[in-house]
Amino acid sequence: MPPLELLLQQALNGVMLGVMYALIAVGFTLFFGVLDVIHFSHGDIFMLGAFAGLSTLLGLAAVGLRAPVAALPLAFVAAILVTGLVGVLAERVCVKPLARSSPLMTLLATLSLGLVIRESVLIFYPRGADPKPFPQLLPQGGFEVGGVAIRYENLAILGIGLAAMVTVDLIIRRTRMGAAIRAVAQDPEAAQMMGVNLDRTVDATFFLGSGLAAVAGILSGLYYSEIHFIMGITGGVIGFSAAAIGGLGNVYGAIVGGLLFGVLQTTSAALIPRGSEFRDVVAFAVVMLFLIVRPRGILGEQSVERV
Amino acid sequence: MLELRGVSTRYGPITMLRSVSLSLAEGRIACLLGPNGAGKTTLIRTILGIVKPVEGEILFEGRRIDRLRTHEIVALGIGVVPEGRRVFPRMTVEENLRMGAFVEWAPADLAARRDRVFSLFPRLAERRRQKAATMSGGEQAMLAVGRALMGRPKLLLLDEPSLGLAPVLVEQLFTMAQAINRSGTTVFLVEQNARKTLEIAHHGFLLQKGEIAGSGSAAELAASPIVRHAYLRA
Ligand SMILES: Nc1ncnc2c1ncn2[C@@H]1O[C@H](COP(=O)(O)OP(=O)(O)OP(=O)(O)O)[C@@H](O)[C@H]1O
Ligand SMILES: [Mg+2]
Repeated sequence: MPPLELLLQQALNGVMLGVMYALIAVGFTLFFGVLDVIHFSHGDIFMLGAFAGLSTLLGLAAVGLRAPVAALPLAFVAAILVTGLVGVLAERVCVKPLARSSPLMTLLATLSLGLVIRESVLIFYPRGADPKPFPQLLPQGGFEVGGVAIRYENLAILGIGLAAMVTVDLIIRRTRMGAAIRAVAQDPEAAQMMGVNLDRTVDATFFLGSGLAAVAGILSGLYYSEIHFIMGITGGVIGFSAAAIGGLGNVYGAIVGGLLFGVLQTTSAALIPRGSEFRDVVAFAVVMLFLIVRPRGILGEQSVERV
Repeated sequence: MLELRGVSTRYGPITMLRSVSLSLAEGRIACLLGPNGAGKTTLIRTILGIVKPVEGEILFEGRRIDRLRTHEIVALGIGVVPEGRRVFPRMTVEENLRMGAFVEWAPADLAARRDRVFSLFPRLAERRRQKAATMSGGEQAMLAVGRALMGRPKLLLLDEPSLGLAPVLVEQLFTMAQAINRSGTTVFLVEQNARKTLEIAHHGFLLQKGEIAGSGSAAELAASPIVRHAYLRA
């Protein structure tokens, strides 16, 4: 049994990873909510967000803007816009037109689109095959509480991730667009009878979900100090698993699912011999067991909290 | 107020409405009677643009609406209580009512509108924070009517609102429809319960197999052989 501090340390790291997973998972769950589809290129949209953020930061640095307080917010805005628009385009081209046909078609179309996004970054980004170093813009250093090291950088990542989630929650619960999203998720036809513009609502949902993936992408770059064109594959699978654990369609479930997945990964790394090599295997095994026991996810269908 | 001219609607190869023409008088209660599967709901869905007519014209206050999209049509001032009520199950009573005012979203008199609905249906006030899914059929019916009223519609479409309700509630609902009409809203009531409906309606139409099989004042309809035979069992 590893010492308690190590477990706590790993749990803390897990929460941080979990925040990123949760941001990806919320997109999956929102898309499923409004269109009943699984958008498999979402992981690559997450990767695209990281590259859009990196390009913005490099561009800003080239014109002499390196101060993190200015550069980072701009990078977030630019990356959100890029992924938001690509997400809406993806929805219009290969998700919505197929929403009424077999789910297999959507699966095929979105998987292919993911491939196109990945290959585009590989080909068009300079030396796209190599991992790209991501600038360290967050404050370094940290402090210790009861043997657990807390880094300022990690606190910042946590803070940004939580702020993004709170923002989405407010949008969904308090705005007219959010009401439209909830209404469409619950009954698209009744929503239209209330005056909801279905197409615009679906667009907004994909913009929102894809923008969140961009936030996750940049946070991932800041955390690992590098990004790679294939990062969307694992990111997508984990984000989707997190959404499934939480119960597809349920925003709060997706957040819980993301956190759970992150903590599972890091604590299994600490608890199991050579665990860090197997952390994904262990985490996915737990997810599968979990889904066998509770196929509808933690909060499931009974939950009234589904969007 | 609302006029259909030679409207035909198809579901795939099957013609569901065949050259339907009808006209609703402003400020009145009109009814649409017809047996199961006659196409009543299809007619409502066609008016709302959920299905598009393959021929004919639909006019609301003199302007063509048959090419508009559903959200544009209802924004002209049409409130709907759809077949099966279709309240938003995971929204509370208050959130459902707010959806009824979605077009304007934040009108100055939002609170007053809600209070009016609550005074019409005190039951809804008691359950304002309850999720619609957990309410009884009767309460959901009230909620659906209240939600439709939140938009201050000029025309209210009701598709079998009494279905599955206890007789007392049906009575209440019909009284309510009359009250709503007296306050200036034109009402179009789709029903199978011909006797009750003809008591409150001013005029109406009879739909059979997708075609208008009769129309006239409530008294004329009540006296017509088809209605007497098929609906009033007299
Ligand atoms: N989406 C659809 N696709 C194909 N056929 C449909 C569709 N909706 C309804 N129908 C068919 O159209 C016919 C008319 O249905 P409609 O719901 O308009 O009848 P109705 O008069 O409202 O009946 P009820 O009194 O049972 O509500 C029915 O035979 C029904 O099966
Ligand atoms: Mg019907």
